Amino acid sequence: MTLVGTRGEWGTWAVAIGLGLVVAACGNSTSTSAASTIKVGIMTTCGGPFAAFEQESFSGAKYALIQGAGGKAKGTASQDGVTGASVSGHPIEISFGCTDASPDKALAEARRLVQNVGVDILLGPLSGDEGIALANYAKQQPNKTFVNGTSAAQQTTLSVKAPNFFRYGGDGAQWMAGLGTYAYQTLHWRNVAILGEDYSYPWTQAAGFIGEFCPAGGKIAKRIWIPLGTTDWASAVAQLPSNIDGFLLLTGGTDTVAVEKEYSTRGGNLATHMLGGSSVMDPTSFTVGKPLSGLAGGSPVPLGSTDSAWTSYVNGLESVYPADPKGSLAGSLFTGLYYNGMSAIIQGLKQVNGDLSGNQSKLQQALSGLTLSAPNGSLKLDANRNAIITNYIVQIVGDGSLGFKVVKTVPGVDQTFHGFFGPTSSPARDSPSC
Amino acid sequence: MIPRRIRAELAHRFAGGLALLVLVVAVAWVLARAFGVVGGTANVPLFIVVTLNGLTLAALYFIVASGFTLIFGLMRVVNMAHGSLYLLGGYIGLRLVEHRVNYWLALVLAALAIGVVGLVMQQVFLRWNQGQDLRQALITIAISVVLADQMIPTFGAAAVAIKAPDGLNSAVRFGLYDIRYPTFRLVVLGLAVLIGVSLWYGIQHTRFGMIIRAGVDDRAMTSALGVNVQAVLAVTFFVGALLAGLGGVLGGTMIALAPGQDASFLLSSLVVVIVGGMGSLAGALFGALALGLVAQLSGVYLPAGYTNFSILLTFALLVFVLAVRPIGLFGRR
Repeated sequence: MTLVGTRGEWGTWAVAIGLGLVVAACGNSTSTSAASTIKVGIMTTCGGPFAAFEQESFSGAKYALIQGAGGKAKGTASQDGVTGASVSGHPIEISFGCTDASPDKALAEARRLVQNVGVDILLGPLSGDEGIALANYAKQQPNKTFVNGTSAAQQTTLSVKAPNFFRYGGDGAQWMAGLGTYAYQTLHWRNVAILGEDYSYPWTQAAGFIGEFCPAGGKIAKRIWIPLGTTDWASAVAQLPSNIDGFLLLTGGTDTVAVEKEYSTRGGNLATHMLGGSSVMDPTSFTVGKPLSGLAGGSPVPLGSTDSAWTSYVNGLESVYPADPKGSLAGSLFTGLYYNGMSAIIQGLKQVNGDLSGNQSKLQQALSGLTLSAPNGSLKLDANRNAIITNYIVQIVGDGSLGFKVVKTVPGVDQTFHGFFGPTSSPARDSPSC
Repeated sequence: MIPRRIRAELAHRFAGGLALLVLVVAVAWVLARAFGVVGGTANVPLFIVVTLNGLTLAALYFIVASGFTLIFGLMRVVNMAHGSLYLLGGYIGLRLVEHRVNYWLALVLAALAIGVVGLVMQQVFLRWNQGQDLRQALITIAISVVLADQMIPTFGAAAVAIKAPDGLNSAVRFGLYDIRYPTFRLVVLGLAVLIGVSLWYGIQHTRFGMIIRAGVDDRAMTSALGVNVQAVLAVTFFVGALLAGLGGVLGGTMIALAPGQDASFLLSSLVVVIVGGMGSLAGALFGALALGLVAQLSGVYLPAGYTNFSILLTFALLVFVLAVRPIGLFGRR
């Protein structure tokens, strides 16, 4: 392409202005400033490999405002806001932030929300590496409060541990509690491969599985890590050894569908030879269909539970944000944990009557000591401000339309797995060893 | 002092030699790992499956990129909405299959629909901007952004997969190392060969193909000879878009459809035609083969601990070709 004369210069200007417009259009802020308004930013992935979880996470957070702060939904689309929410007379105003699961984009969005839009509290992010970046950023902004969405890398709260970063959902290792034992004792697996995306969250999930499976006597035959952004997972599936009892899949969104399709097409049985990580156990993968029936995995939320706390949450949420099929929006850990995060913010604000003075120290103190009775159980934070959770082994059931049921409940799961993990031993590709 | 022309020639030869050397080393390394000469035990079945994966992925890339290169070759339009046409075609195919339309009929209908979308795009937005590369590129970027945003509310943000027709939904056995291989991927490979041969025949041996080739070489002269260039451009854009739509349905069945794949298939089409040479069918073939094989083999055969660089390697391929032969393997000045 050659640029000639003035027309060329105009072309260059057009590119610059066009790019400017694109950048400007990416932010969706609703900002007006009133004296006692409390601004809350909500951040999740709207693009990239986890774009599918945008609707789930925003809906969960918004439903908490409707249910706990008297808000009204403006509409049912994922970025339709909530009006009229308030805590102790302080109106709550929300701004949405969008990332693509990469830490640099998460940091840029967090900066925009905190420094330009001026939010007081930030809820998010969704993905593991983003959370590590944000916890580090939180240290630079001690007078703001950060409540995690679903990002679940272990080091976010075990080694970074910013004093103003709170995680009510636990980490990816906690979400696997019970699954290693289930594989060893119930399925009688001894030799297992791990296939997952190559970043902190799947490594953390693998650590949680290994933490139970290996001390019990199991062996990990191979760990296969595939970069995020890989479109065709056929060769990843081809690398699974033939002499294993089964494999653990640690993927999310598009990648999950790609692996499950490839494995079942090649004659593999997902129900008997695979276990799922927490993001695998998500209704967004139901497009794979019947082969999924019987698949079990670990989850921090009791998907398919008939417990009244859970069902009233599911019904309440979907009466505001209808889902097709029923239960598919609320039946996701992303909806549930964003709901919990926003509920904690509301409850914390109520305890201090919306007082954000003293660099939000009162609010942060309230959040640290909070006991949250959430749909997935009662939650309390540990000294690193990471929740001690109840974890669940859930299973996909059904023939025509798929759903979930709870197989096992594991109460009192802390981040260290009773001392197995520490601040110096972050999960990595080959760590912990087995 | 060596004259500048000779120095440039020497540098060029050196780069070419280096490229060849890297290629030989890479092939030797992969074979050595596959047959157990280095790095542990031999795993021939894995090598066969991964190579087949590379070939079938290359087939998909070729179908999509041949449309891209056709449009570029004749019209000098870098159609930045090509990936969006791919994804939209896939979604249309998905909806049709969900409504119990026969798979092959759905494939044809979706491809034709995208051909029409492409035709409208060309007639309404690009025709009056002919010859203004930058403006056309910007218009197609705008179209791709609008399409991407509209597809999310219409078709959802979750990954979805098109169900393969019965009988092609499973895996075939080769009777070799007990390998089972997904039948549908082989179908895509076959279709790509069919499309490649038809395009080659159409371009080399028909009157219309002759006009296209003449148009590629000198559009003004072709027009002066009485050829209705506008009609030729319209048909070319229709066919190019149609191929993107066709690829979308096949890709949605072979892998999955999700937001973001528009960008990733545009990117792979760009890489394919830049490696192969803009506007060349043979170039699209070799570019697709190079990209597909590198993408699949590198993920498995890079030394342990470095497999996460497999995505980078496809761009290393691009840099290498550009450094050695800036017009692409089969490009013409």
